Formats: sequence, C-alpha cells, structure tokens
Amino acid sequence: MLDKRLVVVTGKGGVGKSAVATGLALMAQRHGLRVLAVEMEPGGGLSAHLGTGELAFEPREVRPGLHAMKMVRSDALLEYLSLQLRLPGMGRFGPFARAFDALATAAPAVREIVTIGKILWEVRADRWDVVVVDAPPTGQIASYLRAPASISELVTTGRIRAQAEWMANTLADPDMTRLLVVTLPEELPTTETLETIDWVEAAGVVGPPLVIANRVLEKVGVATTPEGVVGDMVNLHRSLTTEQERWLERLPPDMTLPYLFGLFTPGEVAAHISDELEALA
Amino acid sequence: MTRTVLVTGAGGVGKTTFSAALAVKAARAGVRTLVVTVDPARRLASAIGVNDLGDEPQPHEEEGNLWAAMLDSEASWRAVAMRHADPDVATRLADNEFFRAASEHFPASQSYAAADQAATFVQARVWDLVIVDTPPSGGGIDFFTAPAQMADLVGGRLLRWITGGPLPGRRFFYDRAARPMLRVADTILGSDLLQRVSEFLLDLRTTYDGVARRGREIEKVLREAATLVVTTADPAPLDEAVRFYRQLPDLATTPAAVIFNRALPAEWARVKPDPGLPVELGRIAEQWSAETVRQADAREEFSARYGARVATIPWRPSPPTSLSGLASIVEASEGIPWDELLP
Repeated sequence: MLDKRLVVVTGKGGVGKSAVATGLALMAQRHGLRVLAVEMEPGGGLSAHLGTGELAFEPREVRPGLHAMKMVRSDALLEYLSLQLRLPGMGRFGPFARAFDALATAAPAVREIVTIGKILWEVRADRWDVVVVDAPPTGQIASYLRAPASISELVTTGRIRAQAEWMANTLADPDMTRLLVVTLPEELPTTETLETIDWVEAAGVVGPPLVIANRVLEKVGVATTPEGVVGDMVNLHRSLTTEQERWLERLPPDMTLPYLFGLFTPGEVAAHISDELEALA
Repeated sequence: MTRTVLVTGAGGVGKTTFSAALAVKAARAGVRTLVVTVDPARRLASAIGVNDLGDEPQPHEEEGNLWAAMLDSEASWRAVAMRHADPDVATRLADNEFFRAASEHFPASQSYAAADQAATFVQARVWDLVIVDTPPSGGGIDFFTAPAQMADLVGGRLLRWITGGPLPGRRFFYDRAARPMLRVADTILGSDLLQRVSEFLLDLRTTYDGVARRGREIEKVLREAATLVVTTADPAPLDEAVRFYRQLPDLATTPAAVIFNRALPAEWARVKPDPGLPVELGRIAEQWSAETVRQADAREEFSARYGARVATIPWRPSPPTSLSGLASIVEASEGIPWDELLP
C-alpha cells in the first residue's frame, strides 16, 4: 500500500475513510517515510483523527516525518497562479484571484484542477515519499479524478492544458497512484462502491481501486448459545455477521478491518486501524 | 396547518430509516403523513412503497395515510430554471454544460433541491405532517443555508468578480472584455471557455429575482419546522451531531431531541460472563459490554454538554423491509418527544 507515491482514500460518508487515511499515514510514518497527509474537505476528519486541531494550507509537521495540511482552494489558486502558471504578482492581485475563483465555481473542472493539481504538484516535488489524501466521498471523487482529463477537453489552448496532461498521466499510472475505496458490509456503501468500481473501469483515469471493508465482525465459531444476557449478545453478533456476509459476498473486499469495540476518540480509532493495516501489509 | 419535521444527521446512521419509521407511526395514528427522502436504500424504498425517483409524492398501497417522495436533485435543479427563467433562457440553461456541472457540484445543490421540494409539499397543505430526511452534507447544516447560498450563486456575485463592476448586461460585458484582467484569463484558459462561462452566468442571473423570492419562502418553512438530529455513538457521526448543536444554523429550531441509533440494552453494561463459557463467547460478551458502556457514556456526555434531550433506538441486525418492521423501530424506541413532533 505504501509503494505508491499518491494514495487517494475515498468512500461513502460515514464508512470511516478519514480513519483509514489517518491510519495509513501513521503507518507510513512509522516506516520512516516522509509523509504528507492532506485533508481535502472543510471539516474533514483527518485533523480529528490525527488529534492536531485545525490544520492549515501550509504543511505542518505533526509527528516526526509526518506533515499534514488542509486544502484551501483560494490558497491553492494563488499558489497555482504564481508558481505554476508563472504569473508574477498575481498573489497580490486579489481581484484577479477572486475572479478566477468565481469562474472556477461555474466551471467545476477548473475548480477541481486547482485542488487535485496542488496535490499532484506535491507528488512531483519530491519532498515526500508518499502523499495520503483524505479525499471527498465516492459521490464526488469522480469529478476530481476526471478533472485533468476534462480540462484537456474544456480548454483548447493555454498553459493549463499542457499541465493537465502530465497530471492526468500521474493519476493514470498505477505505479504512481493508488485509489483506495473504504466501504462497510451494508447495502448503501456496497452499492456505491460497486458503482465507483464500474466508473473507474469505464473512465480509465486511475488504476483499479483497492477495496477495504471496514467494521467487519468476526464470525462466532461456537455453535452453542448460552442463557441470558450473554446469549442475547451472541445472537446479535451472529445476526450481524450474517447480514454482513451477504454484502461481503456481493463485493468481496481486498482487505478487511475489524469492528472496534469500546473506543472513544477518533485518535484511538486511527491508532488501532494503523496497527491493523500494519498486520495486513 | 402542516407540521414539518426536519431529520438531520451524518450519512450512514440510519436517518432515512428513522424518518420512514416516524412516518409510519404517524400515519398509523391517523395523521396524513408525507415522508421525503433522498437516495434511500432499495429495501427501504420498497418498504415505504416508492420504487421510482420522482418529485411526485406517491401514496402507499396499504397504508392509507402514508405518502412518500424520493428526490431527484438534478431534476429539481432543472425545475429551478424552468420556474424562474424565461422559456428560451430556461432551455438554454438546461442544455448548458456548465449548468449541468453546477447542478452536480455546487455544494448546496442537493440541499437546495431538497429544501425547495420540501417547502412545496408543506405549502400544498395536503398533508398534516411532512417529514424530511435531509441530505447529510455539511453535517446537515448545508440544508439550512442552501437557499441563501443559491441566491448568492445566481445573484451575480460571480459575474461581479469577473467583470469587477456592477451587474452588467450582455452588451456591457462584451464591451468590457478587453480589460487586462480578462486578457490574462484568456491567456490561461483560452477565451472560448471564459466566454462560454460568462454567457452561462448571464443567463443564470435572470433567475435571481425568482430564486431570491423563493428562498425567503423556503426559509419561512424551515424556521417553523421541528428539528431532530440522528446519530450513532460512533466517534465520527457523533462529531457531526456536536457540530450541528454548536453551530446551530439561524434557521433551525433547537432540536427536539438527539436520537442515538443502534443503542444496546442498558443491562449489557458491565456483564461478567460465566467463567465456564467457551473463551470465544466470553470475549464476545466483554466486547459488547464495553460497547454498551461507551454508548451510555457518549449519550450522557452529549446530554450534559448541550442540554439535549436524548432518545434511543435499539440496534437491529438488519434494516426493516416492511411497514411493520418500521413501526416496530419506533415502538422499541425510548425518549422521542412525540408531542413536539406530531400535529
């Protein structure tokens, strides 16, 4: 999982994608890699799982070797204009940046290329061994991954087009980029993950995704059921595993993570997931 | 008068199932009830008797007082254009690639469509109770801010930034197209894109008066509605529920209750399994006991910190697939303030 330069973690809302992204970043950090973890969505769960408090656009070292940042579109845009498009002074030219930002709202591929573009520049800059992205949910991930290709269609001339091409190539290269879809053994996450897999295959903008099923209960190996409260617990456990199996058969995952009992904080959850990923790797 | 209940909460906590269960309970109590959902699971959709997406409420075949509607947010967005723009502009908008993109990607898009539709149903005065399963984006907060965001989007803010001046007409815009800023944009993007976006924004701008007026109507409905927050005791959804209470949107009433789904029976806490049990069963008992303790602590803390009324729904191994299954959910619940919800 850590042999790619870019790992994009997505999943339906509520499946634990931020916990998995954080767990992966922590695991990479323990292996001595130079890691950048990126929170893509405002209010995203990465900072909560890292226990860092609010993150900033400028990457900050939150543990030795592990930097974290949050995506801020206006900052990404200013950086894009001044560094990548080499339009000197654009950072001070506020109205232009705002106009561009407004334009980007109406032409979403433009908006998304600014943020996915920032990530791809970081991948290219060689400051990191791996960049782990706590990405938007499966419902929106397509527009981000498609952005560089869309831009090539939308923009017929200009500098952006040339850059969009290497961005598209980086995403599409399975040695560089890995899409990781976190799911739960339940109806809606399973359906949405299957749709995502179909989309990825059809669109061809990124290699085949790795599917991780989260919160999977271990089957009860004992056939007997004790009396009383413990019996009720065992019965609930058995019914839940039966329901889960139905969805695991529909979508056999590449990896499974266990249900974590009795944990309180996002930080505890991320630390456990990191250990589980380590054991799987 | 129609009573409105807005059910908010993070994705994956059982919000849609609870909304449907609440509707069944009300319908069976003789209340003419409509439940409005976004993207329900197939099994749930068939339980409440809707199998097609569509903005039209469908009556349930067996339960006389129950109606259900599933929203199609793309269709609702098109309806905005049809309702508020001249026919030829509306057609041009609907065919415009940026319009389609904006309807997919504008963050408040689905929330706006849901709020707009819900308000239409409330204003129809056909139902005694309208229960809205709100889209989960922004922890449920987006739903309440969507009308204002929508008006802002079409109100020309974008256009003002692009032109740097007051809201222009079409000719004015092209006269000014030689501005240096636009020349730079042309260099980067190619003038074709800029022109196409500008045309789209000018068309969109013509819907502003209608959208702003409609927004005020929607906001009135939201302001008069009761609110419920659904969560589980898992850390991530709980964080979203906390965020909703802390940043309570101006248009939302204080939630009537926070409903903890997948609650375990209180007597499961601190169970000491019989030492004679197989080791595996003893471990399962310890795990569920720890989970029960954690849940109870989470509820207690939430209630103490936010003065929230807490209700619980027992954990079920699989979602209900029938009306009776849905009804049994509310029958097994504890602490739901019915008198504040039912008309």
